[in-house]
Amino acid sequence: MRSNQSTERNLPDSLILQMIRTQAAPDEAIRQLYRMQFGLTKSYIKQQSGSDEDAEDIFQEVILNFIELVKKDKFRGDSSISTFLYAMTRNTWLNELKKRGRAKARDEKFEKARDTEEMDVSHYIVNRELKSLLLNLVDGLGDTCKKILVAFYFENMAMRDILNLLDYENEQVVRNKKYKCLKQLEQNISGNTQLAANLKSLLSYE
Amino acid sequence: MNNNYTQTEQLIQYLDGELETAARQDLEAKLASEPILAAELESLSLAQEAVRSYGLKSRIGDIHREMMNEFAVDEAPVVGMTPARIFRYTARIAAILLVVVGAAVLFQYYTASNEQLFRDNFTPFALHTTRGAAPEALEQSYQKGDYATVVGNYKNIASPSQAERFLYANAALQTSDAPAAIAALTALQEANKTAGTHAYEEDAEYYLALAYLKNNEAAKALPLLEKIHADTGHTYHDKVSGWMLRKAERLAK
Repeated sequence: MRSNQSTERNLPDSLILQMIRTQAAPDEAIRQLYRMQFGLTKSYIKQQSGSDEDAEDIFQEVILNFIELVKKDKFRGDSSISTFLYAMTRNTWLNELKKRGRAKARDEKFEKARDTEEMDVSHYIVNRELKSLLLNLVDGLGDTCKKILVAFYFENMAMRDILNLLDYENEQVVRNKKYKCLKQLEQNISGNTQLAANLKSLLSYE
Repeated sequence: MNNNYTQTEQLIQYLDGELETAARQDLEAKLASEPILAAELESLSLAQEAVRSYGLKSRIGDIHREMMNEFAVDEAPVVGMTPARIFRYTARIAAILLVVVGAAVLFQYYTASNEQLFRDNFTPFALHTTRGAAPEALEQSYQKGDYATVVGNYKNIASPSQAERFLYANAALQTSDAPAAIAALTALQEANKTAGTHAYEEDAEYYLALAYLKNNEAAKALPLLEKIHADTGHTYHDKVSGWMLRKAERLAK
């Protein structure tokens, strides 16, 4: 990783957190997180028997979880963002190794030997399998459903603006479609015993 | 439209914050007594959370591709930072700061509430600055911060003085009784008018404006705030900034 990435680590943590919380410039906040942390993540995962692709996947997952924690006010800023992301990366990668059945003695030993003073972020990381299952259920919806639901719940778009994205007659039709899509997703969730049993912990992100 | 549809639609409207107060209260009562309905609400809530996560994941994926390209370009050997790069980074940071500060200001402006504006500007009247002595019992309780006693004692006074009215109004604001504060301060102003006096005149104007805000009556607070802001010699002129006035104007609409 080239040194010029470190020269761009110049926004204070408080500003990055504000950009995420207020939705003032969330995309720029993500870019800043990449500039300040991706190099460290890549080095760590490659040292720990991972590939470039592993580093990219793990980093995206860590950023997703971090942003959700910030939005839910679960990140209080007791440590720097960089320290927190690094701890999340380690935790997520070790979990991934176990999942792959490659938790060799070395990894386990490494995990046990972790400095006791190192930040424990395990309680901040939702069950990865459940989260993945949940996201797969959304991905399994039709394209129109995904478009409507994401536009409404993630982009916070008004119905009349969503109508412009789609080939529907009026807002009421879009509203009905949104209802059906969400209901379908809800039924898929409640029909999944694993998810249904963990609703509360998934909602509270703990 | 069948009953299940209506019920689920109501739950979704509830989660989306689209239900009217009465309907929301009805639904909350039902939720407390119907576990099946409450379970459906939780599933729907998780479904919405899942959609938000999915949207964020997609967005991160887009930015990830963009950043991988940026890093790939940055891999080209460059020694140190050129002035052009320094300028580019500085300009980028300045632009980000501008956007963030601007967004924070707009956020404050558009999310201001009467209560928020009240809380941001209310500081209890400091008794040592009073002009004229307040009655001893009320004054002592007020100084101790025993506002409940001030309120209780005031109610037993048949003909309160201007000072008693003023202290009572402040105590009422402290105990979140804005209507009582408004009544006392209005009576104070009326008494001044009748007697041709000016006791606590400017204090009453400022605190009456705050009491109106506390009582969700920004339209009534606005003329008072405008008057104080326009009068550079007013005791409370410095407390009513142009920014406070803009927020009050928005709330009064």
